[in-house]
Amino acid sequence: MILSIFFHWFFVCLTAPFFLGVIGRVKAFASGKVGPPLLQPYFDLGKLFRKRSIYSRNMTWVFRLAPAVTFAAMLAVSLLVPFGALKAPVQFEGDILLIVGVLALSRFFMIAAAMDTGFSMEGMGASREAFFACLSEVALFMNFITLALLAHSLSLSRMLGADSPVSWNLLGPALLLVVASFFIVFLAENCRIPIDDPDTHLELTMIHEVMLLEHGGVDLAYMFYAAAVKFFIFAAILVPIILPVQTEYLCVRMMSFLGGMLGLSVLVGIVESSMARIRLDRVRNLLLISFALAFFGLIVALWRG
Amino acid sequence: MKNIFQMTWQVPFGEFVLKLDPLSLVFLLAVTILLLCAGVYAVGYMRPYQGKKPLLPHIFFYLLFAFSLVLIVTANNVILFLGAWETMTISTYFLIIFFDEKESVRKAGFLYLIASHCATFCLFLMFFLMAHAAGSMNFDMIARASFPPVLSGTIFLLALAGFGVKAGFLPSHIWLPYAHPAAPSHISALLSGVAIKMGIYGICRVLWIMDILPDWCGYLLVVIGVICGIMGVLYALGQHELKKLLAYHSIENIGIIAIGLGVGLLGRSYHLPFLAVLGFGGGLLHVLNHSLFKGLLFLAAGSVIQKTHSGEIDKLGGVAKAMPVTSVLFLVGALSICGLPLFNGFISEFIVFFGLFQGMFTLPLSGVIFCVWGILSLALMGALALACFSKVYGAVFSGQPRSILEGLEDPAGKGESTSKWMLIPMIVLAGVCVWIGLAPRAMAMFTFLGGAYLTHVELSMVDLGQVFIPLTMVIGVLLLFIALIMGLIVIRRLLLGAESTPVREAWGCGFTRVSARSQYTASSFARMILDFVKNLLFFRREGGMVEGIFPVKVRLESSVRDVAEEKGFRPLLTGLTLLSRKIDAGRVHYTQMYLMYIFLFLIFLLVWKLK
Repeated sequence: MILSIFFHWFFVCLTAPFFLGVIGRVKAFASGKVGPPLLQPYFDLGKLFRKRSIYSRNMTWVFRLAPAVTFAAMLAVSLLVPFGALKAPVQFEGDILLIVGVLALSRFFMIAAAMDTGFSMEGMGASREAFFACLSEVALFMNFITLALLAHSLSLSRMLGADSPVSWNLLGPALLLVVASFFIVFLAENCRIPIDDPDTHLELTMIHEVMLLEHGGVDLAYMFYAAAVKFFIFAAILVPIILPVQTEYLCVRMMSFLGGMLGLSVLVGIVESSMARIRLDRVRNLLLISFALAFFGLIVALWRG
Repeated sequence: MKNIFQMTWQVPFGEFVLKLDPLSLVFLLAVTILLLCAGVYAVGYMRPYQGKKPLLPHIFFYLLFAFSLVLIVTANNVILFLGAWETMTISTYFLIIFFDEKESVRKAGFLYLIASHCATFCLFLMFFLMAHAAGSMNFDMIARASFPPVLSGTIFLLALAGFGVKAGFLPSHIWLPYAHPAAPSHISALLSGVAIKMGIYGICRVLWIMDILPDWCGYLLVVIGVICGIMGVLYALGQHELKKLLAYHSIENIGIIAIGLGVGLLGRSYHLPFLAVLGFGGGLLHVLNHSLFKGLLFLAAGSVIQKTHSGEIDKLGGVAKAMPVTSVLFLVGALSICGLPLFNGFISEFIVFFGLFQGMFTLPLSGVIFCVWGILSLALMGALALACFSKVYGAVFSGQPRSILEGLEDPAGKGESTSKWMLIPMIVLAGVCVWIGLAPRAMAMFTFLGGAYLTHVELSMVDLGQVFIPLTMVIGVLLLFIALIMGLIVIRRLLLGAESTPVREAWGCGFTRVSARSQYTASSFARMILDFVKNLLFFRREGGMVEGIFPVKVRLESSVRDVAEEKGFRPLLTGLTLLSRKIDAGRVHYTQMYLMYIFLFLIFLLVWKLK
């Protein structure tokens, strides 16, 4: 148990930043550049960990605590998510509620830290984060409801078919809607284009990045790492729904999982290089579309079952 | 359950019988904890008014209030219950109007009094129907009687109307956002933490008495819960005043409790004891939790308001520097009320969520639809509450003061100057919040007992392992989570080294002197969400446009209107006043006329009796 927990953390910490590197590479390729090496996120993290932080006069302990809480939250959530052949070390009925709760806790601290700077840019980002999270959380729950009904369980591991295979033949239409809806939630929660742009430096248009403006050094490294792990977790929930590979061979399962993760990262990269960020007041429509898709998924699931 | 106290009482139909059962125990616990904490807090809080205002009547009514609360939850007789209920209403009125030199306070108290008495009318009717059908005024005897479905449905509706006003169900909540800010803070804490819970207690007692209710009652309770929850938190988001915001938030939490009770009732109607115990137990646990964290929040808000002399969120800011302990305590309350893990709010919401999912798996299709609706609404409420309280914490405690606040003139390194009398009760409440959040088993068991009592089953007949095993796992993961946070903090310390980190001005896009007034305000923070639902809330913004090359001072006003008040009660009451004026105008002012009316009425009675 203890060993599997530590191995899970080791695995997620080791591999998570790689997929951000893949996205960067795909985006560079699409715009005709060579781009940074695939391991660039690791170099960035290494550099940030060696740097010192700087704080503003307004800040209290909340600002200093928030990065640790955020990163710890992502690591805690990762324990409940299966990674291909690696079963989730902790799984129980109702673990999805804990996942959503811990993610919300990290969000609270991020918003509180942003407000702690006492500066309007961060406040703007915090306000947007709070609003879009309301919509994406409802869409996320809608997806979980559909999956829970299909798997007749409240445990994420069961829903993702690590224990009982999810069959596309039987449940195809419902799952297709869930995948489409969850992909939007995935983009929104991880602040990717078309909802948010992780690369822009125009504070007025950003959501997540603008909240990190005042973070530096180890704090920024924690936040950056947390974002990478969050991306990994959401992708790891989405991949097994798309690729429900169930074989005895652990090697094949692991390969298909990692392949799926890689494919998803490339897809995100393609989406990012082929689309523009949508206008801020339209983001809510996109999230509502995600909710509607999941809602139709539920109707199909109810009608089938 | 046996009676714990009996006494002869010379009141017609009344008997002085007190009873303690698992249901009243849950409420009694909430009542005692909060009464003690608020009482101790009041010692520090009321000190500035010593000699300036008469405190003795306040203390008298406080004790009377405490006495009536204990009597309400233990009374086992209709007359005794109603007597205690009225005593509570009257004593609360006098507690609310402590600052009676202000017109707004007097008005708020009067509104409370009228609303409560309208509700009591429904209660009289309800208890009359009950007692008439059962032929007894004793709760135990009434519970043994059986009621036809129409009658039990009517009684349930009357209970919702009568107790709903006290509990703050929409749309009869309108007294609540006026009374809470008007009262002194320890009274607001009690109002929100305990007094409105008496409405919930009344509903629970009726649910217990009516062991067979039509199916629609459960659905209705879920619907009420969802509406209260979502509207309550949206109204809260739109408020500019700290205590008014907290007051609206009580409506949200009452909604969560109602959803829990509704799920329990559905489980009971469909003979699913596990679901029923989960729903009732979750709802009751939230009753207890809400009284803890809402009490804490009101007390902390009271300390802030006493120090800064302002409850306007957009004028505050940077309070954490001058009041570090209070800010931590407020943060604990805020995290609890958002239902975030590590704190008690999460546990009760977890159980209610669990019940809703359980209902989704086991109920027939109509139940599935309502459960899905409940889950989504609960998720939305959680996210909105998070937005609301991150806004409050951020705007009030973080950053810099947005206006000149007298109490915070020299915040540098002085430490907290709040009185110990005020700090210690808040620390106790925060401690209990964390305790339930990290070791929920005892309290959950306690409320599940109440839940089983409401379901009319033995707790041993229900497999509670299904919910306790997940709860244990949750706690396990949360302890790991805390260990992770500690570990990451240590790593950060090691990486940063022993040198002190430099502290500079915040980066202001090149501006070197950023005014504190340029900080994001709470109103701007909430604007996106309010704009999204502006038609639901009558959210309006006026002014704020900058004109000309050399703009002059611009005024911006944003407000959220209470639909129930503006579109419901105000036109209704205006109409009623007009109608009674009209009737009054056509009246003939002769004494002889009235004598004739009496005579005619007597003849009517005589004829009616002879028939």
